[in-house]
Amino acid sequence: MSAGGQALRQVELTIDGKKVVVPEGTTVFDAARLNAISIPTLCHQQNEAPVGVCRVCVVDVGARVFTAACVRAVEPGMVVTTNSEKVRRARRTLVELLMSDHPSPCARQQHSRDCELETLAKLEGITQPRFAPRSTSRGKDDSSLSIAVAFDACILCDRCIRGCNDIRGNLVLGRTGKGAQTGIAFDHNRPMGESTCVSCGECMVSCPTGALTNKGTVHAALGPDARPVTSEELLQLPVFKGVSGTFLELNKGAIVQRHFQRGDMVCREGEYGSTAFYILEGQAQVSISSPIAHVKTDGGARGFLSRLKSSLARRQEDRREEEAQQRYIPTDGPVDLAYENPVAELGPGDLFGEMTCMNYYPRSATVRAQTDCTMLEMLRNVLDILQKNKTFREQLEGTYRQRALDSHLRGVPIFAGLTDDFINHLRETVELTRYAPGEVICRQGEPADSFYLVRLGFVKVSETYPGGELVLAYLSRGNYFGEIGLLGVGQRSATCTALDHVELVRIASADFQLMMGWFPQVRRSLEAVAQERLQQNRERLSLVRSVPLDRFLAQGLMEAQSLLILNLENCTRCDACVRACADAHDGVTRLVREGLRFDKYLVATSCRQCRDPLCMVGCPVGSIRRRHSLEVIIEDWCIGCGLCARNCPYGNINLHPFEVTQGEPALPGREMAVIQQKATSCDLCTGHKEPSCVYACPHDAAHRVNPREFFARTLGSPTAGVPES
Amino acid sequence: MIFEELKAIQRQYGYLPVEQLVALSKRINTPLYRLHGVASFYPHFHLTPPARADVRVCADMSCHLRGACELRASLEQQFQGASGRDVSIREVSCLGRCDAAPGLSINDRIYTEVSDTQAEALVQSVLANETLPEPPREHGRVECASDPYRGGEKYGVLRRLVQTCDWEGVLAALESSGLPGMGGARFPTGKKWRGARAELGAEKYIVCNADESEPGTIKDRFILAHLAHLVVEGILIGGLVIGARKGYLYIRHEYAEQEKILEEEIQRCQREGLIGPRILGTDLSFELEIFVSPGGYICGEESALLEAIEGKRAEPRNKPPFPIVKGLWDKPTVINNVETFINVPQILARGVEWYKAQGQGGAAGLKFIGVSGDVRRPGVYEVPMGTPASELIFHHAGGLPEGKKLKAFAPSGPSGGYLPASMADVRMDFKSLIEAGSMLGSGALVVCDDATCMLDMALNAVKFFRNESCGKCVPCRVGSQKMVDLLTGWTQGKGSPTDYALVEDLSDALALTSICGLGQVVPAPIASVLKHFREEVEAHLLRRECPAGVCFSRAQDGAARVSGIARAT
Repeated sequence: MSAGGQALRQVELTIDGKKVVVPEGTTVFDAARLNAISIPTLCHQQNEAPVGVCRVCVVDVGARVFTAACVRAVEPGMVVTTNSEKVRRARRTLVELLMSDHPSPCARQQHSRDCELETLAKLEGITQPRFAPRSTSRGKDDSSLSIAVAFDACILCDRCIRGCNDIRGNLVLGRTGKGAQTGIAFDHNRPMGESTCVSCGECMVSCPTGALTNKGTVHAALGPDARPVTSEELLQLPVFKGVSGTFLELNKGAIVQRHFQRGDMVCREGEYGSTAFYILEGQAQVSISSPIAHVKTDGGARGFLSRLKSSLARRQEDRREEEAQQRYIPTDGPVDLAYENPVAELGPGDLFGEMTCMNYYPRSATVRAQTDCTMLEMLRNVLDILQKNKTFREQLEGTYRQRALDSHLRGVPIFAGLTDDFINHLRETVELTRYAPGEVICRQGEPADSFYLVRLGFVKVSETYPGGELVLAYLSRGNYFGEIGLLGVGQRSATCTALDHVELVRIASADFQLMMGWFPQVRRSLEAVAQERLQQNRERLSLVRSVPLDRFLAQGLMEAQSLLILNLENCTRCDACVRACADAHDGVTRLVREGLRFDKYLVATSCRQCRDPLCMVGCPVGSIRRRHSLEVIIEDWCIGCGLCARNCPYGNINLHPFEVTQGEPALPGREMAVIQQKATSCDLCTGHKEPSCVYACPHDAAHRVNPREFFARTLGSPTAGVPES
Repeated sequence: MIFEELKAIQRQYGYLPVEQLVALSKRINTPLYRLHGVASFYPHFHLTPPARADVRVCADMSCHLRGACELRASLEQQFQGASGRDVSIREVSCLGRCDAAPGLSINDRIYTEVSDTQAEALVQSVLANETLPEPPREHGRVECASDPYRGGEKYGVLRRLVQTCDWEGVLAALESSGLPGMGGARFPTGKKWRGARAELGAEKYIVCNADESEPGTIKDRFILAHLAHLVVEGILIGGLVIGARKGYLYIRHEYAEQEKILEEEIQRCQREGLIGPRILGTDLSFELEIFVSPGGYICGEESALLEAIEGKRAEPRNKPPFPIVKGLWDKPTVINNVETFINVPQILARGVEWYKAQGQGGAAGLKFIGVSGDVRRPGVYEVPMGTPASELIFHHAGGLPEGKKLKAFAPSGPSGGYLPASMADVRMDFKSLIEAGSMLGSGALVVCDDATCMLDMALNAVKFFRNESCGKCVPCRVGSQKMVDLLTGWTQGKGSPTDYALVEDLSDALALTSICGLGQVVPAPIASVLKHFREEVEAHLLRRECPAGVCFSRAQDGAARVSGIARAT
């Protein structure tokens, strides 16, 4: 009790008739405790500075009013009564007041039967509070991956607030509002998951009730062969510094340690998963084993009903219009893979599988143990803790700056010419920022002050116009945005929103301008791109404005750039179109004769080259994008995971299986045949005079049309248009 | 500093946009949670864009007695169809215009004695983008008996003191006068100042509490307008006595006119060398700053007031330590009410004997008392301490309106509870009123005529406390709400035989365990009504009858009134 060994003056006082002597400065609460007199409390705990807000620890010191024992220092000759009838009655009323608004049993009571309020109420014999409960719910917040917030169970004891700010120094939690409307709030009253909360867990560990509880393991996806890790072990690791041990204890099922022998497969590209890996020891190899090739359809030139054959073709053999000139393939790890030789190494301290873990996207690459490896495999809630931890973030950002920024920047063709000196400069100055799902990164019309590269996640670029929003693009790793505003316009031309957990590399305006000055070639290319983008945007917007939108949009038809429509008055349902499509594509049809009906037309299911191309969201390697004509192109490094096919709301993307031979790393020198898939969408029978389906229709019922013009006519707009074919 | 930044943002945008808060947080290196904590606490700040016509009708005692409910209902009906972006009509806590009730504010301008049609015209003119008329001003300067300098040179006491430096003489005079804290807590001023003077350390503060916000309390508004020089002189003397070099005058934001008068008074003092470095050429120095409150009755609680000056949520501190030991920025600080400060130069200029001779019935000094509610001439009256309430009501304030009888009066706004007409001869001084089971408080005499329902008035008073609770401690935050719920039920004839015991338990918990005075007085109004008007309460509970004809008949038009919360955020 004595500070620094210095002798403190002793104070004598009386507590419940018992003479006690304690050092000066001791609180009445501690003086009682030291003498085996226990005073109940809700807001006070030993590791936090007392605040005296719950008033449950009030004692009678002979003054006009009671005093809170936790904040009151002892005084010589003080006579303290902790348990008179009057004190007990007041205390009981306080507990009764809190219980009347408490959702009993609360989450904590249900999980572990240790809600401190409910325990105290039981002790006080309060079963049915006499006060009416509050009439409105204070709500809940489910946005954090690891912590559930139930405001109804909050008693405003401020324990979480002190835990967050005083103990952990995270400065996130505070009080909001006033009086009966007071509550706890994260930052400026944001959902917890979108706040600057670092998921250290201290608030939850501090909470006496079910207001802040552990969500528990997301689901038991961690196999039985793994070794569970204890919270003590984790806390030894620098990257877990600052996380509450209790919190890790509560999440212990969500992280395991795995040992991989040299050559073992850690994860396979294209597979679905829900975990991320952190390498503790050893080296791992990350690679893409899918052959880098397009799906090529041959044989059609000889006649529309002749059987076509699909095969894989390297880009040298099968050039595609507007094919990407990308030199790097993005992965869900700290390194990008070179297009020419997609293999790289990972080592201790590297984290991979973030996107798979946070957003459930397929694995972007295959990882194998190159030496014997030890890794931590974790589920979302633990990854979330880790990602938000300051030490870990610093490490992660450092790794990124050193290893990936280079390839990331140079992977963008127009930046290929940047010098090492300049990239070294950027390493020091770029800022890495995080955005939660739905968070707006920049808003149309706002002043432009930065240029962004996407490091992780998907960014939706949209423009608002009267009556709605037009999605211009989904940007994924390796893409960039913000250049238009910086190149003269001065304002953001579009709104960019984080679609999922997004991490960006922010290059401040000053550095961007520096780059423009030093590298005239980059400036010229960027200006050309910006001009082109602006022009496209203008065109799109003028198109959008020319048709009655409501009805059109309601059907989703406006989304389409090109539709296959069947005139139901002419169509005899002979299915010749479907057969023609199947014949043209290895027997796998890309056309289904069903879909939305609009007027007398059936809009058949075939790629619509949508305005909001959902298929592009989540591609783990960024191999699906659109051409300037808005048609969808699937790049040759597709790993065949099938996510785009699942995402397409209209069922227009198919997976095409191919047999390829692959080296077997476990048995060096051996090659084996495996089935690989590649995604394909309706290619409008590229290379044919017109699509096979349209050509095949014996009743002149099938047409490929531009929906805007076609439906503009149908909907009575004066801009007449005829079916294109 | 935080408030200045927030106010600047609000001036520019009309509210506090999130992006601006985020930017401010980075600029001044203050965590967002702290900015949000204060922005959401004080009614002055808007977190969302306010309506074009942001109308707030005072809901408290004097205005309640003078038709505020009806005014609000009429406005609500009138603008029923208006969009929320155009018109918002809400209740607000006492605006400090109790002598000109009912009061309302439109876009932060306060108008008084407003009729339904005037209020409607004001709102219409906002909607028509017309400039609002100037709010009424305080009537011309009034000569007060309290002013020792009438006509002559001001600051005579201060001029003498900076030469003699007889600080001990000041303390001795104050102690011998027994001057109590006039804000209502009646702590002996001499003792407080001596205590602060004895504290070690070069950094000390003196604060003038001009945040009176309790319904019926308007005396400081009057004093600040008419005796600003005595207020400033009192603060200067106090500052020099305790050894402070900096003083704050904490004024509620609804007193813009008084703020201007004080600003001018301080500037005049600076020009004359009475404030600033080297006062009148001596080695003494003192700075005085006006701090405009971001709002809320709780800021009048002395430790909450200090928290507000420090840019925090105005949540009262646990005491001890008291401010004279650990006050502003944890330094020794004296906080006194406006009226306490004006008594200091009076006592020092005219002597302790003069001071003691001013009172009646054994009390000392002069007292400013605001009289409002059901009287013909509401206003602030300067009377001898100890003047009977009946004299104030019937003589000074001209009695009740034609045909009305006195039913009850609150000697100290809501916090002293209600006394029946039979006790009207009680002397208005600290001792007499405590003996009568009430208190002098801040001198806010609110008069109720015989058409008043006392249960309704008790509910009105408790609602004020509920609305103004800071929410820090459990009894006040939860208890004041439960008290409102219970009494609301009673006014609707809903109640059970066990309710009395429940109210008693709740009252004890509030009075004994709340951190500050606000929570401690929450039970006072209903306790006084149960003591003096129990039959009236029982009529509601047992016969579902309101003898005054207020509760059940008004229940229809007043659905909002019953549940209305002046959440002026």
